[in-house]
Amino acid sequence: MGFLLLAIFLVLMIIGVPIAFVIGIVALIGIISIPYTPEATVPMSMVNGLDSFVLLAVPLFILAANLMNSGKISEKLIELALAIVGPIRGGLAHANVLVSMMFAGVSGAAQADTAGVGKILIPSMLKKGYDKETAVGITAASSTVGVVIPPSIPMIIFAGLTNASIGALFLGGIVPGILIGVGMMVFVYIVAIKRNYPRAERVEIKKFLKLLGESIPALFTPVIIIGGIISGFFTATEAAAVASIYTLIVCMFYYKTIKVKDLSGILMDTLALSSLSLFALAAASALGELMSYYQIGAMAQEFFDSNIGSKWLFILIIIGFFLFIGTFMDAIPAMILFVPVILPTALEFGIDPVHLGLIVVITLAIGLITPPYGLCLLLAAKIGNMSVERSFVAVIPYIAIILVILLFVAFFPQIAFYIPKLINPALF
Amino acid sequence: MKKFVNTLEKIQMTVGVLFLCIFVFVIVLQIITRHLGISVIWTEEVANYSFIWAIFMGAAVMINRREHFNFDFIVQKLTGAKKAGLSIFNDLVLIVFNFVIFLLGLQVVTEFWNYRWATLPEMKMGYVWIAIPIMALTMIVYSISHLIDHVRAVKAKEVIE
Amino acid sequence: GTDELEVEADGTIKLIAAHNQTSPDNPYQTGLLKFKEVVENESDGKIEVEVHAGTIGTEESQLVEKLQLGAADLVVVSPGLMTQTGIREVDILSAPYLFKSYDHWLRAIDGPVGEEMAEIINEKSNNSFKVLGYWTAGVRHFYGKKPLESIDDLKGVSLRTQTSGVISDFWQATGAIPSSISWGELYQGLQQDVVDSSENAYPFFVQQAHHTTPNGKYITETAHDFTTRLVLFNGEKFDNLPENYQEIILKAAEESVIAEREATNTQDVEYKEKAIEEGAVVNEIDREPFIEVAEPILDEFVKEIEAEELLQKIRDLE
Ligand code: NA
Ligand code: NA
Repeated sequence: MGFLLLAIFLVLMIIGVPIAFVIGIVALIGIISIPYTPEATVPMSMVNGLDSFVLLAVPLFILAANLMNSGKISEKLIELALAIVGPIRGGLAHANVLVSMMFAGVSGAAQADTAGVGKILIPSMLKKGYDKETAVGITAASSTVGVVIPPSIPMIIFAGLTNASIGALFLGGIVPGILIGVGMMVFVYIVAIKRNYPRAERVEIKKFLKLLGESIPALFTPVIIIGGIISGFFTATEAAAVASIYTLIVCMFYYKTIKVKDLSGILMDTLALSSLSLFALAAASALGELMSYYQIGAMAQEFFDSNIGSKWLFILIIIGFFLFIGTFMDAIPAMILFVPVILPTALEFGIDPVHLGLIVVITLAIGLITPPYGLCLLLAAKIGNMSVERSFVAVIPYIAIILVILLFVAFFPQIAFYIPKLINPALF
Repeated sequence: MKKFVNTLEKIQMTVGVLFLCIFVFVIVLQIITRHLGISVIWTEEVANYSFIWAIFMGAAVMINRREHFNFDFIVQKLTGAKKAGLSIFNDLVLIVFNFVIFLLGLQVVTEFWNYRWATLPEMKMGYVWIAIPIMALTMIVYSISHLIDHVRAVKAKEVIE
Repeated sequence: GTDELEVEADGTIKLIAAHNQTSPDNPYQTGLLKFKEVVENESDGKIEVEVHAGTIGTEESQLVEKLQLGAADLVVVSPGLMTQTGIREVDILSAPYLFKSYDHWLRAIDGPVGEEMAEIINEKSNNSFKVLGYWTAGVRHFYGKKPLESIDDLKGVSLRTQTSGVISDFWQATGAIPSSISWGELYQGLQQDVVDSSENAYPFFVQQAHHTTPNGKYITETAHDFTTRLVLFNGEKFDNLPENYQEIILKAAEESVIAEREATNTQDVEYKEKAIEEGAVVNEIDREPFIEVAEPILDEFVKEIEAEELLQKIRDLE
């Protein structure tokens, strides 16, 4: 039966049935094939899969990001980033990375960054003579830091699945996130020298200070979010709501860039975007239910117990597996389906859940820029009007950079854990 | 048909956005009341169920807008009647799946209509479960309207050929 | 639903038994494994039992729904859950200080009160649920950032507690502020001062390392709840079984009760020791003032759920 289901899965996927429905259909057929389980468990597990408080963070962070884009905060941040790194050779590309890192501190969602920043920077990079590969590649690739630098939706979901500390995961994402950003900047610098990309003009100190002053209310968001969570003022999910409300207030009353009549459009966009991945998650819950009737978790544990003797080999297998899954599935359903399967074995190998979480989240972040289903890649390709194949070739060097950082985090966890231990040793 | 579908989409999107607003509001309320030392126990449950409604309504609208992610390289490679034929097949797959979900959803609704919310016993679980058949039914409506478009496309091609 | 029997090709029957705890050394797992062992032995393998530890639902409400639908045959749930299915009387079992000691609990639950409860559940659920036995999830105590020396120490203390009405009423009456925070976010919440305290039985909160947080370090043995867990079977399915199979299941349920309670009581002691070893501080407290606060709330509560007679019967057994 397992092979038949796999075959149905592949066929339906290839002929173009939406992936969320492919997952649901396979779950339904699977449940029908088990005589002692009533089919009504499929819609029930779809609802039950969504019935979790931590998931509310998904639309809330997307809302915050949409507000930033509509409220032109993204533009402010781009200007600021240009003022800081613009004078380096390849300035626009560096600014692209830096603004994604700033954006990451507010948003737990990477796609919103690709869309918001890409719309502005891809055209202006092309205008300044950057080639398309660099413009599209750096835009898509740098967005992935959005889920590594806190706050991060996948980290919240992972913590919900495993009881790992959200605070520790968030703090643990800071160093790898910054390293990924810096790594990309170094690569872009080399490319810029080779292809003689322009520098942006140096900004006068007075203008720079003015820009900085204007950006402070926006840059203050990460402080509120992370500070609020670490100090216990609110939980991670609540922080997402606070981020949205704060961004809304800043845009409406400070920058005056959002009017009441804009709100319904922003809310609709938010619901549209979040219902796509969350419906896929609901379907994945039904499939997860089927997998638990097949007792896949126990089978996986048995397999690892008898075949994989080493913790490091196990970690490599996890990375390889999630790299593969990430090519055609969102991070959230991928984690819902497979984190419960690998968690018992990981604990048995003595892998800290926070460490496991960082590995899984960074691995799945790569999935954002790998085809066929890499949301950031697809978005950037669309904005840059370039084929997905060519865009993928363009992001390969960046994937290599993320992979190097990922392996660092996997095998030298002390690097990632440096900041969390500094800030709150009690977390470990 | 088109007009009806557009109105339906508008209503459904509005309902979804309203539920989105409810849960944002309730979460803020939860933070505030906790810090004021007032105990409001139903916030989490109300937020969760509004969220479920919002997502299911949004997911149905996304069917109408054909935004659910799919691999379209085969559909893109095909042309003419073959392309329309495959699209028709895919529409039918969605219609059949949603029809089954609709029936199963109704079964769940009747079976558990009278279950109570944990923190608000006045509220019935039926109000939550009924989101499933509503979602499935509207997805069927949207898919049928796509199906009609695709059938028309086939017919038009035949006339030309 | 599928209430009819699913007989496989070789004539064996498969039963799905589920609880919501994922940890393999949880007493629920001990109880269900015992059930499986006895059923499979006594039936010579004619009945097969598949045990699910959290794999088909980590929420009790999901398990009850599965039971009613026929997607599970035996589940373990809290009494509070029955309220959600429309059977309110059972909720009396979650009331604070209903039972004054473990022996009091035993006398009631293994005696007339337990029998009456089983009848109520079976009747009101139209035979969807049949009680096979009563398990326990241990004795619940208070744990927080300061030890309680008297009931007054609860004033203004935020406390994570179940959201069921009577429990929250009781804690409010003591001056504490019941706070809603999910179990999954609680470790965090205690660590980072989102809540001042919580309450639960040793095995549960020690496994989650709550006692290692600043706000979970001081345990005061309030013993406000000698907990009951219901082992439910799908009633219609049970009636459809041949009589000898019914007997086997009843016998296995009885043995599972013994095994589960023994495991819980052992763990209660073990986890208390573990907590103390790891730096938690335990103190005892005079429970009389707490009982005095609880009594009028209980009286009110049973009026609301129409369980006055049940309460009297329980009190008579003190
Ligand atoms: Na982020
Ligand atoms: Na970028």
